[in-house]
Amino acid sequence: MIFTVIQTSWRRLRNNRSELFLTFIVPVVFFSIFALIFGSRDSSSSTPKIKVAISDSANSSVSEKAIAALAEQKSLRIADRDIKSVDRAQAEDLVRRGMVSAAVVFSKPENGAIVDGRPDVEILTDSFDQMASQVLTAIVQRAVMTATAEIAMDRQAPSSGVVSASYLGEVSLGLPPQPKFQVVDVIGGKKTNPVVAMYAAGIAVMFLLFSATTASGSLLEERENSTLDRLLSSRLTMDQLLLGKWAYLTIIGAIQMTLMFTWGATVFKIDLLNHLEGFAAMTLVTSGAAASFALMLATLCKSRMQLGWVSTIVILTMSALGGSMVPRYLMSESIQKAGLWTFNAWALDGYNKVFWRELPLRELQTELAILTLSGFAFLVAARLFAVRWERT
Amino acid sequence: MSQTTAVLAQTDDEIPGIEIPALSVVDLWKRYGGTQALSGTSFQLAVGERLALLGPNGAGKTTLIRSMCGRVRPDQGEVLLSGQSIRNTGVLQQMGVIPQDLAIYQDLTARENLECFGQLHGLRSRALRERVKWALHWIGLEDRANELTRRFSGGMKRRVNIACGVLHRPRILLLDEPTVGVDPQSRQRIFDMLDELNQLGTSIVLTTHHLDEAETRSDRIIIIDHGKVVADGKLEDLISSTIGARRQVVIETEGILVAAPPGMTWDPLRNRFVCYVDDVVEELPQILERIQRVGGVVRDLEVHQPNLHNVFLHLTGKELRE
Repeated sequence: MIFTVIQTSWRRLRNNRSELFLTFIVPVVFFSIFALIFGSRDSSSSTPKIKVAISDSANSSVSEKAIAALAEQKSLRIADRDIKSVDRAQAEDLVRRGMVSAAVVFSKPENGAIVDGRPDVEILTDSFDQMASQVLTAIVQRAVMTATAEIAMDRQAPSSGVVSASYLGEVSLGLPPQPKFQVVDVIGGKKTNPVVAMYAAGIAVMFLLFSATTASGSLLEERENSTLDRLLSSRLTMDQLLLGKWAYLTIIGAIQMTLMFTWGATVFKIDLLNHLEGFAAMTLVTSGAAASFALMLATLCKSRMQLGWVSTIVILTMSALGGSMVPRYLMSESIQKAGLWTFNAWALDGYNKVFWRELPLRELQTELAILTLSGFAFLVAARLFAVRWERT
Repeated sequence: MSQTTAVLAQTDDEIPGIEIPALSVVDLWKRYGGTQALSGTSFQLAVGERLALLGPNGAGKTTLIRSMCGRVRPDQGEVLLSGQSIRNTGVLQQMGVIPQDLAIYQDLTARENLECFGQLHGLRSRALRERVKWALHWIGLEDRANELTRRFSGGMKRRVNIACGVLHRPRILLLDEPTVGVDPQSRQRIFDMLDELNQLGTSIVLTTHHLDEAETRSDRIIIIDHGKVVADGKLEDLISSTIGARRQVVIETEGILVAAPPGMTWDPLRNRFVCYVDDVVEELPQILERIQRVGGVVRDLEVHQPNLHNVFLHLTGKELRE
């Protein structure tokens, strides 16, 4: 009897191509995708680099040597700016806006006098990327100490070129005084929003996509049971049907996002009230784009079952690449770039700017524009795919 | 307006007293890949007429129905409603379509379904309320109007399915197997509803696999096979033009027959002899005598009046469900 049950189940699986695909192929596909996303970090060419801005108003011998040493670090990418022209405020602004992970500021001491080429050193960090700030702090400390020691050696070395044993002893004991060194968390330090705001956005966007694609399956259900025939035999056109469904999915998505963030505000202290403008703008375009994307998938598929597994693969892949599961800064450079082709990455960047960086609405222009345009493109694609259902 | 439409409209306008057909199917052709689904199908439906459309599976019925409601674009030919092409804006509003599947939202109540499809057909506010009220009364579900339709029996769902297609008072109603999977009582109820509509002037096209429905519930019968009309007329006309008035005699025998009785054919599927006679009283004794002569003993005997089933078999060579 048990054998019969096993045999029948196996035969049913064997005769069902979709289920066979889900059972044996999809896991391998997923494994490959995730291995590609998270496993490629070992490759030295694509190891994530810390993007750093440097400001040097001290213009001292130590700062110059330290900056030269930092520029040679493979783990850093110095922002392409004229270091001399960037002041502290600008460097802080770059960190705040997320243009760089951290900034190193070399400045003159408070009394204005640089002694032995030693500037004050500040590292401006963003606790969003805690790993970057810790690594950078260690690298900068080493570069500054080495530069200080070298300058001291140059100054105290005998003119004859012969180095005495007593001199070497002084240097090795670290006798040269070190510059004043300070690490400042420019965002997290004064923040009212806990880190949970960033993760709320990641999870919310992923579930928004899942719920939108599930709801868009009603279109396929209508097609399967001839309701679509009946709908299109009335005064309703395919344009109106798709727009109606898009509007509905957008509204439901916006309510869903609002519900999640309201819950986040109540339980996890996300400061929603002071960011309503940015939240509303991001939620509207994100929900609209998710609705368009869901309709595109629904019109592309032939059945609800097909929609189920296609959407699962696509959404989980996009969520992994786009940062809904793991922050993108942990991924390799190449995967971070690939992530920009996903819907999630732009949505998360937008929410991140609103809740973490607390930037004004005008700073969201890029994210809003990309999500709006992609939403429009998805909707047009859905309309084109739906042509085959109109008249055969 | 296409050339065909123009010609038809002009002809009807020019001859006083000739009524424009409610529905005209004019030389429809449709091919799907290597399959010719329709091969020049043509027929008409008069105003207030009830037409049964029959055909074996694969005869092109579904393609024809979908062409009539504008869901299939024929390669050639045209469908006209009251002389106007269905391709013209708003013309399809004269038609009500009742699909074979339950094309209703089962997670809506009966009332909500009716409101939805009424609105999609352009009904608003008071007119909508009145038609929904009428429809609920018509299908006998006033007391269950606010229940989800997924809790309804098959027959009740079918009635809601039909009501959703008639809210906008269509002049022509196209029903694709409206009684599939329905018990006899519900079938009766559905046909009573359709008769009521017909008496109000609605023309009805009905496809069915129940020959008794076609015989008793239609004024005219069309049989299609291989994508074209192979018979078109009233039941008695179809019988006289195919089988004639001859009766079918079916005889089951016992014993070993040394040869087949002359003039009789053997039906191997049912193990019986079949023949046709013009005069039962005169010819039947002769038939029985022939059987006895070849060693057979008659166990059972049936005499059938020609019916639609015989006509259908005669024309298509197939049972209706084949």
